[in-house]
Amino acid sequence: MIVAENVEKRFGDALVLKHVNLRVEPGEVVTILGASGSGKSTLIRCINGLEALSGGKITVDGHDVSTKAGLVAARRASATVFQLFNLYPHMTALRNITLAPIEVLKLPKAEAEARARALLEKVGLGAHADAYPQQLSGGQRQRVGICRALAMQPRYLLLDEVTSALDPEMTGDVLRILAELAADGTTMVFVTHEIEFARHISSRIVFLEQGELIVDLPTAQFFAEDGGLAVPRIRQFLSKMKKD
Amino acid sequence: MRYADFTPYDIVLLLQGLGVTLALFIGTTLIGLAIGLLLAVVHHYRIPGCRPVIVLVTEALKNSPVLVQLFLVFFGIPAFLHIRMTPVEAATLTISLNTAAFAFVVFRSGIESIDRDQIEAAKVFGLDRSQILRFVIAPQAAAFSVGPLVGILVNQLQVTSLISVIGVFDLTKIGNILNLRTLQPFIVWAVIGLIYYLAAKTLALAGSRVEAALRKSVKWGGI
Amino acid sequence: MRFWRVIEPHIGFLLQGFALTIAACLLAIVGAVLLGALTASMRSSGNRWVRGAANAYGDVFRNVPFLVQLFFFFYGLPELGIYIGAFETGVIAMSIAGGAFVSDVILSGIMTVDTGVIDAAKVSGLNRVKIFTRIVLPIALRVSVRPMGSVLINLVLTSSILSTITVNELTGAAKIVAATTFKPFEVYAVLLVLYASLTTLLSFAISATHRRLNRFMMGG
Repeated sequence: MIVAENVEKRFGDALVLKHVNLRVEPGEVVTILGASGSGKSTLIRCINGLEALSGGKITVDGHDVSTKAGLVAARRASATVFQLFNLYPHMTALRNITLAPIEVLKLPKAEAEARARALLEKVGLGAHADAYPQQLSGGQRQRVGICRALAMQPRYLLLDEVTSALDPEMTGDVLRILAELAADGTTMVFVTHEIEFARHISSRIVFLEQGELIVDLPTAQFFAEDGGLAVPRIRQFLSKMKKD
Repeated sequence: MRYADFTPYDIVLLLQGLGVTLALFIGTTLIGLAIGLLLAVVHHYRIPGCRPVIVLVTEALKNSPVLVQLFLVFFGIPAFLHIRMTPVEAATLTISLNTAAFAFVVFRSGIESIDRDQIEAAKVFGLDRSQILRFVIAPQAAAFSVGPLVGILVNQLQVTSLISVIGVFDLTKIGNILNLRTLQPFIVWAVIGLIYYLAAKTLALAGSRVEAALRKSVKWGGI
Repeated sequence: MRFWRVIEPHIGFLLQGFALTIAACLLAIVGAVLLGALTASMRSSGNRWVRGAANAYGDVFRNVPFLVQLFFFFYGLPELGIYIGAFETGVIAMSIAGGAFVSDVILSGIMTVDTGVIDAAKVSGLNRVKIFTRIVLPIALRVSVRPMGSVLINLVLTSSILSTITVNELTGAAKIVAATTFKPFEVYAVLLVLYASLTTLLSFAISATHRRLNRFMMGG
């Protein structure tokens, strides 16, 4: 379980996250919605320890990410897929995927490679194992990014606007893979602008507004007239996103 | 206790050495830039047979030690052609050609960029080609060449210290003289080094001022 | 050919000088990389005195002629009671001058590593040492091949100046041959061509290495 309690994050004078409380149970798919700059990505970066908290506490399966040992354990339990892929540019797709399993999980090389090839096969990139990131399209790179995360066999998958840098066509490929993962019961925390997709795969939706978590509802209720849509700010946000 | 202490007259010696260094630097810079520009223009107009020769010679000058070039000119050419050459003449010839080789590369890429941009710009503006060249592109190209040229010149200022080896009484040669006389190498070479340092810094500062001014004056041209 | 007739009897002596040039350059590039790495880490330090000292070192040794630096060490070290050979002094001076340039190369190499890539390595659980050795360093080295190569080429050219402090490396040896044969033009012309060929070959090798290492990276 991922638990965020009273999380606060400052950048200089700016308060980016204000007393955020969030729980993600195993098996859930939780989508974080909100306008640009509302703190969605920062929240993800606090969960995986890329940003230090200014206040409050985050635990992943009971491991406090603000302690050194806790962060190591928390990172072992989760994996992150990034908006801009962040693949290692000097390594092939296969090496991108096997690096951490070999170095961190201490898997034998042959086993790590067999698993990586199976993952690449699953996302339709079986023929591209030896390609370098530079030789792949954006959508292909992001699929490698997803494989790299899955190769760590994480209990929680953190997805930070993973389709924002992709063309609509490539977005479809990536979303299909995520939908399959959701159907398999993978626990996900999902920051996105793809509202229809979020509605389709998430079990719960939370809404961030200027660093505050103002709504946290099961998906059906979030889109219900007497639920999320009753909040003026969310109605406004959703109608604006539809227009875009 | 000491061989011979410093005297007030040593200041005059240092100033003399600095004067020789600066005079030679300024002289070779002017000659070098002129030759470099000429080479770039000749290179640009594809005069038959010139291109490979220019490229070969400038590459050889850029890729061999200046000290060896000095020896070739000062010891080699007089012996070969049976002529007389003073250290100052040899130094002027060598450093000028060396500066020209580096300047050539900067000017060549400047001209190439003018050539490319000219076509683009001519399509956009109603101006004729020579107007665009004179008022828009040439100042910009000049502004963009100043940075690399200043880098080259700061380096060439230091390169002039090598002419002391063939007997020119520049700042480094004065250092040698004071070093031998006073046997106080630390003080002597620290002072000589400091003077070169200040000269290089002044040159770099002046260069960045000129560059900033040129960039400012062409800003309106922004294509 | 007249050039070969002049050089031929002295070829063994010149080769000895050439070997000394190579030795000086190899030792100096090692020294320069060590010193440059140390300076680069000092320049990214949080302590402003450490940072200032490292910056001052780079600034001074890039703006004072190498010949003056060389004389400073050659004549100055015995003054301190340090008696080392001219060759050793030359290697030390070349390492110190080269280190000032290498620190720039290393710093800008590390700067080019995308922070997002480092984030990805962090969250995957790699420790600091692994992130540096497997991610940051390999990427930084790939983009540093060319600038590091030009530092090496400059060291080769600079090594000729060691002849002024009695080191008989290639230029020093050639000076002796020129004086004994009374054929300075032939000797120095051959010498110039030799240096130019050596550095040109080096730059081809550097470009080839750069291309090989960066085949699939960053469009470079």
